[in-house]
Amino acid sequence: MDNEIKIKIDGLSFFYNEHRILNNITAGFPENTITAIVGPSGKGKTTFLMTLNRLWESISQARIEGEVEIRFGDRFHKIYDSSYPLSQLRRLVGMVFQVPNPLPMSIYKNVAFPLKLTGVKDKNMISGKVETALKRAFLWEEVKDRLTDNAFSLSGGQQQRLCIARALILEPEILLLDEPTSSLDASAGAVIEELMLSLKDRCTLLIVSHYLDQVKRIADTSMELSDGKLHEYPNS
Amino acid sequence: MMDRVLEKVVTGFSWICATVLLGTVFSIVGYLLVNGLGTINVTIIFGETDPVDALLFRKQVFDGLFPAMVGTFALVALSVSFAVPIGIAAGIYMAEYCRGGLKRIFSLVFDVLAGIPSIVVGLFGFSVAIFLHNYFYSRIYPCLLISALSLAFLVLPYLIRTTQVSLENLPENIRQTAPALGATKLQNIFYVLIPRSLSGIASGVILSIGRCAEDTAVIMLTGAVTMVGVPKSVFSNYEALPFYIYYISSQYSDKQELLSGYGAAIILLVICGLLFMMAFFIKNRLTYHALYRQ
Repeated sequence: MDNEIKIKIDGLSFFYNEHRILNNITAGFPENTITAIVGPSGKGKTTFLMTLNRLWESISQARIEGEVEIRFGDRFHKIYDSSYPLSQLRRLVGMVFQVPNPLPMSIYKNVAFPLKLTGVKDKNMISGKVETALKRAFLWEEVKDRLTDNAFSLSGGQQQRLCIARALILEPEILLLDEPTSSLDASAGAVIEELMLSLKDRCTLLIVSHYLDQVKRIADTSMELSDGKLHEYPNS
Repeated sequence: MMDRVLEKVVTGFSWICATVLLGTVFSIVGYLLVNGLGTINVTIIFGETDPVDALLFRKQVFDGLFPAMVGTFALVALSVSFAVPIGIAAGIYMAEYCRGGLKRIFSLVFDVLAGIPSIVVGLFGFSVAIFLHNYFYSRIYPCLLISALSLAFLVLPYLIRTTQVSLENLPENIRQTAPALGATKLQNIFYVLIPRSLSGIASGVILSIGRCAEDTAVIMLTGAVTMVGVPKSVFSNYEALPFYIYYISSQYSDKQELLSGYGAAIILLVICGLLFMMAFFIKNRLTYHALYRQ
């Protein structure tokens, strides 16, 4: 890969209740690429994604060893440093979950929610950003006339694209997707795959997937997580 | 074969229990209505005083239920406004911030608080009033404020427990949605978790309202009396419907007075019903505004 490394992981181990889930992982992920993480179920793929946005920290019996550095701007930041603000990290590293989780609000309010969290009040700026985010998520045409509808009235595939739009509105540099199409049917999944390819030019994407043909279609690199270790997975 | 019989027996038993419960409720309400409905008229509420004057607090009512109604209403409003903010805040603390040994200690303390008999709480309120009277301000007597604080003390464990449980029961994926988008812990609590738990919290509030309106043991010792009219301030004595019912049923001298006790009971039920409906309405509006308003 010619792209510069965006994420550097060094000696990462993850323990839950003193069980070793991730075992001394060292890896680098290049910028503006799609990396797929495959492997057996329940072996730590979601955990691995969560080490990149520190979302595991709400679980009380979990702990971590090793270093994770992410390049923002022109230098690497140690994201586990106590001086690095957590909410800032999560604005730059977005996450999309396996089952779509829209908030019980209107479509517009869902997408605008992250802006509200950062304290933005300018209504014109907000509606501009909401439109841009929905367009990037391939959802604008379908919802532009019903932005005040309840988000739960959307289909599963639309809800997932809504969650992607919501994750995109703060313009994150990294997007973590945990099996984004596994709760969707084939055609809805195909739209999400096309969407992920289109996001490559501005984001670095890490996708957990069980669908090896999906991985073949869209991933630049694949890695397999098994026995707590990350290996290159031949993408042929 | 035995399974089928067992299932039918359990189903039948459940139906019997439900019928007994419903039957009891209807009997009590029916008995009250049959005996007391006839007595409800303007006189029983306002006595000899003109209703308009009484409602505008221009003239006192001494031989009607109006002061007791005002007293009960004021008591509930005051005690709930003390208990609800503290109870909900403590519930949030227990669910979101407190961990480990400290959480176990607090849980135990709140459970003990929930188990204290109401007469003991009343005695405590009375002792506090006497203590304040002797050592701080000799014009303090058992009064509306002391009663409201004691009642707040009584219902606090229920509020804390229902808030804590509704928050803790939220599934993990809902808890993680906002933090993954950059929310701080406090933002997650206020924008996502609390709106989602409003049903549970509201049921705790409704329970507290009912408890405050009907409790007699606490108010008996902390300021409820008869025949003083509408309370002039929070530091004065007051009348209350539950106390009036207790007083009349132990001291009545003729049939008419006893019937007025039934009338008071019906009015108390109606006031409770109105307070519940108000709490329900407020909860629905709050949920709507918190979640859906564009």
